[in-house]
Amino acid sequence: MRARGANSARLTARSVIPLVVVVVFLATLPLWVDDYWVRVWTGVAMWAGLAASWNIIGGYAGYISFGHVAFFGIGAYATAILMQPGLDWNFFLTLPVGAVVAGVFAFIVGWPTLRLRGAYFAIATWALAEALAQLVNTVDFTGGSFGLSTPGNAETGFFYYAMLIASALIYLIIFAVFERSRFGYKVKAVRDNEAAAQSLGINTTSVKLQAFVMSAALPAVLGGINAYWITFINPQSVLAGDITDQMVVMALVGGLGHLWGPAIGATVLYLSSTWLSANFGSSTGYIAMIGALLALIVLFLPDGLVGLMPRARNMRLVRQMLRLPDRRADPGPDSDTSRERS
Amino acid sequence: MVRVTMQLLIQTIIDGLLVGGLYVAISIGFSLAFGVLDVVDFAVGEWVMLGAFMGVASRAWFGIDPIAFLPAVFVIFALIGFLVAPLIYRVRTSRYARPALMALAFTFGIAMFARGTMMTAVGFDPRTVDTDLVSGTLMIGGLHLPWLRLAGFLFAILSTALFMGFLFFTRTGLAVRATAQNKRNASLMGIDVKRLSAIVYAIYAGMTAMAGVLIGAIYSFTAQVGPQYSLLAFFVVVMAGLGSVGGVLVAGLFLGMLQALVTVYIGADYTLAIVFGVLFLILLVSPQGVLRRGLAA
Repeated sequence: MRARGANSARLTARSVIPLVVVVVFLATLPLWVDDYWVRVWTGVAMWAGLAASWNIIGGYAGYISFGHVAFFGIGAYATAILMQPGLDWNFFLTLPVGAVVAGVFAFIVGWPTLRLRGAYFAIATWALAEALAQLVNTVDFTGGSFGLSTPGNAETGFFYYAMLIASALIYLIIFAVFERSRFGYKVKAVRDNEAAAQSLGINTTSVKLQAFVMSAALPAVLGGINAYWITFINPQSVLAGDITDQMVVMALVGGLGHLWGPAIGATVLYLSSTWLSANFGSSTGYIAMIGALLALIVLFLPDGLVGLMPRARNMRLVRQMLRLPDRRADPGPDSDTSRERS
Repeated sequence: MVRVTMQLLIQTIIDGLLVGGLYVAISIGFSLAFGVLDVVDFAVGEWVMLGAFMGVASRAWFGIDPIAFLPAVFVIFALIGFLVAPLIYRVRTSRYARPALMALAFTFGIAMFARGTMMTAVGFDPRTVDTDLVSGTLMIGGLHLPWLRLAGFLFAILSTALFMGFLFFTRTGLAVRATAQNKRNASLMGIDVKRLSAIVYAIYAGMTAMAGVLIGAIYSFTAQVGPQYSLLAFFVVVMAGLGSVGGVLVAGLFLGMLQALVTVYIGADYTLAIVFGVLFLILLVSPQGVLRRGLAA
């Protein structure tokens, strides 16, 4: 216990300065850049939050969700529907509703699939997202393929801070739950060796399910803010499969299962995609590029960008995550066999 | 009136079975590639899409009828598959954490790359594969059976039979089945699992692309159609039980029928939702698939 305390104290001292710099930079941004860049950074904040939410199930729990856009879309539609004339809900009150609905959907999908191999979960989440997009396209109360508009006329700065605060809260929650609580250790234990975790009395399915519900509820909040921001949503804009693709790629590029990995991946990728579309304007080319990037990262840089930082190798967490050989001990029994059934 | 509705029902079921044959053709290689490589290939629908475009290209570039071009399609895509497979194998067996998850992400990346490239190259216009070799409709007792669909079904049966023959009557097929059961023991018996994975993946890519040509002749398609067929293939193998070849036959035909019935009696817009509902129920009740032979846990 003492060793861990000393270790985290060292970590804090080391990471406080960059953290302060980033916070000051983000908090004062609208004061010294123009509207366009405020909008770009609103996008960065949103994607950082989305990638981080995906990272809960993908990185910490070790199950790939290929349908996370469903939860983003549920949040967007919850906000849009509740803010329609006639219902006229307050914007802030709609956000928890979206989160709860997304959580319920996650529970329903996760319950049968999270006890099976990861492939079943990946397929089921993907099927959910596709089915949901088709259904929203068809039924009436979502406006069908025409979509819905939200009575949004707040200014750019409002959305920037709303998105920033929501994403910051998501990081705070993830930090508190997955880096500093017993529950976080349970989730990681289940990921690293499910049989061993089970033998220690952990209800593995329940732990995974809780992580997944959390991972689904958070992007719904961002989806709600996004719906209010872009003032008009339809299935193509908030339920498109490439939103999931981006979350996956951002988390992987940054560093799977690392707290700051998704933020780094989201910043790098979102800024470069903005630059690309401003200069070349082809969104289909971007899909091809992201796909190639995903394949290349998996092949050559499975630990993502955080793995490039020289100091990262000294961090206990990252070393555990990537199973880098410890300086003192061997990684132990072959790590492949323990994960063979995932 | 009763006669008419009865006839519609029979027609719908037959239409569904004919299409279901093609689903079997897509899914059987896919299921086996899973068994051997231990990776769910998210690019399965993209092989269908690329195959369909190859069918268009055979006519436009070489002036050969797409149906006659089928063997060449098989060779081309088997070659591509043979080159891609070692990469998947490398990711799947890497020493990094969670290779299974990384391999999923890898095939997902390949699928996105294929889709994005084709969307950039050919745009969004729907196309069909034109063929003169097969046309017209067979009429039996008031039932309409387009020859094209019959040919597709025939192709599906033939290729499935050939594939099963390969699996059960050749030494390589024996090695494939052994590897699907237990990789470690198979390699102890002197089977080169890496090379075998490449062979299986090559056959799977070739077969799926050939099925893609026929699907492209029956339905119109765009470069974005891949995920739709991936989803159908997933449905079939989940229902069959991942890795179970026998279940694929039942599940493929069932899916074709289900889809046809939903389209006629409920509405095409609800197909995916209902397919997903059925998928969900299957996972809930019998995750090892209908024949209970899959590897679920």
